[in-house]
Amino acid sequence: MVRTLQSFSGMDDEMGLLEIGEQALNGLIISTFYALTALGLALIFGVLRIVNFAHGELYMLGGYVGYLVVSVLGLPPVVGVFAAAAVLLIVGAVLERTLIRPVYTGKVDRPDEYAIMITFALSVLLLNLANSVFGPWPQRPRPIYRGRIEIGELIVSGDRLAAAGAALALIIGVILVLRYTWIGRAVRAVSQDRSAAETFGIDINRTSMLAFGAGAALAAAAGALIGPVFNVTPPMGVIPSIKAYIVVVLGGLGSIPGALIGALILGQVESFATVLIPDTTRALAYKDAYGLLVLVVILLLRPQGLFGRKERRA
Amino acid sequence: MKTTRTGAIVGGGLVLAGLAVLPLTGIQSYWIYTLTIGFYYALLAASWSLLVGYVGRISFAQAAMSGLGAYTSALSLQHFGWPLPVSLLAGVVLAGFVGVFIGWLTLRLHGAYLGLTTIAFSEILRITVTAEHGLTAGSLGLRVPPLIQGGGPLTYYYLFLAVTVVCLALMLFLLQSRIGLFFQAIREDEDGAASLGVEVTTWKIMAFATSSAFAGLAGGLYAHFVQLITPSMMSLQEMGYVLAMAVIGGFHNVIYAALGGLLLQLGLEGLREVGEWRLVVFGLAAILVLRFAPNGLFGTIFGSFSRKGVRR
Repeated sequence: MVRTLQSFSGMDDEMGLLEIGEQALNGLIISTFYALTALGLALIFGVLRIVNFAHGELYMLGGYVGYLVVSVLGLPPVVGVFAAAAVLLIVGAVLERTLIRPVYTGKVDRPDEYAIMITFALSVLLLNLANSVFGPWPQRPRPIYRGRIEIGELIVSGDRLAAAGAALALIIGVILVLRYTWIGRAVRAVSQDRSAAETFGIDINRTSMLAFGAGAALAAAAGALIGPVFNVTPPMGVIPSIKAYIVVVLGGLGSIPGALIGALILGQVESFATVLIPDTTRALAYKDAYGLLVLVVILLLRPQGLFGRKERRA
Repeated sequence: MKTTRTGAIVGGGLVLAGLAVLPLTGIQSYWIYTLTIGFYYALLAASWSLLVGYVGRISFAQAAMSGLGAYTSALSLQHFGWPLPVSLLAGVVLAGFVGVFIGWLTLRLHGAYLGLTTIAFSEILRITVTAEHGLTAGSLGLRVPPLIQGGGPLTYYYLFLAVTVVCLALMLFLLQSRIGLFFQAIREDEDGAASLGVEVTTWKIMAFATSSAFAGLAGGLYAHFVQLITPSMMSLQEMGYVLAMAVIGGFHNVIYAALGGLLLQLGLEGLREVGEWRLVVFGLAAILVLRFAPNGLFGTIFGSFSRKGVRR
């Protein structure tokens, strides 16, 4: 603890206002990426009550659809993002219908266990499928915007800022759809109370299929947006999906505002926690561990997350 | 249930006899090597099924525990100069203690929450081993002294076979004792078991510890066999393979899970000419088995011999 405090005070000496601003902005950009990826996970958990352990691979597939559309067909990157979302919407709906539905129709003996294992096995399948079809080489499709953008004295790379802007627009779009459309109401109703929603005439099966499809589409859009920034490779979804788990656990599984705030917190924690270890290579190596520590602490102390509903059993 | 167990033991005995005489048939030492690796996966998959299949507690940290055993044994041999058996034991004990710790911390958690927490532990371990490259050589890989100085492939083969068989026997002994019943009672209905006087807390922690210790042993032996270990042996991809092996074999029975590990390792080597596609087949098989034959390949085959069939 003393060490931490010392490093914090040490930070003030070394970091000027500009560096702090830079770290904060970087954190914000990363947060929007996390939020978009986590949004789909939260949506799926809200409606289906399952954690999709293949979320990272749906994200990766989105990255590859984006790559095919932009680099192979030569269409604009924005089209790539929408194409990725559209393709994965269908893929997600099909996966829900074939693999996930038995969870809540009583066709499997241990639905919780089955849901965890089938999605984990799905991630093994999809990752290796991409590895076989596209090869392990990294692909770098054209980003939405190239070059650097200056905000006052701050300089940010344009591809990141543009991707973050697009991600933010998508997030706002999803929130509006959830809030004001009939479909959004149905999704929210099912996630609040499955049987009550059914009583009021909402088709649970269709809503579930839609929610999984939409969750997959959001993961795909995130993959297609972020792919050009960090390379498109078969294992590209592994780390983002872990971040998304951290974010949704932080905010409370299934809570959409929680996921957004969780993403905001994680982005800043990672951005500033790197400063705590003086040795830069080790600081970078440990960057992904901070969020995992946060995940463990939250699950142990407050499994319902910051904004989730308390369940009898976590 | 009884018939299933007999089926498993008869089937297991046949496989064991086959494996014992196999090297005498003059097969290539390449396949001896492959099978030796297969024994590692068999033990790892069985240790995972001990926890998941019997106690119903999902862990994604099994590959990480194997890695922990591997690195502990290799590093204590290198830095403290302990004799090899002591180093191996250190790996087993440390993996067991970390198992106690994780089991104790996650007592309140179930299902996906438990899965996520164990993923976090697994990744923290992997990240630490990668980051502390001064000690572990990071992703370059750590050189590990051989288990047997000048030991040939056959020596390793029989040693791994013997260790796997002994460990499986120990697991079966444990699972058929009262403790095994406690485990299954916890899986079926934790509150019910507690109300009938099962010390749920103790046995949940013990299950984690036992499972982790076996994984640590598997990892330690593996390290001294392949003689080069990297943090990728603790990755979630590796965990995915272990899960697929246990699921395909049948994760509600340690023997079936072990056979799954052996079968899949053989399959992976046998299908080398199809390249990376074999891993696709692997993932697809795991999904199909989960969806249509939840008792696994061996559970379904042996279960069909008994009239009642296997209730999971």
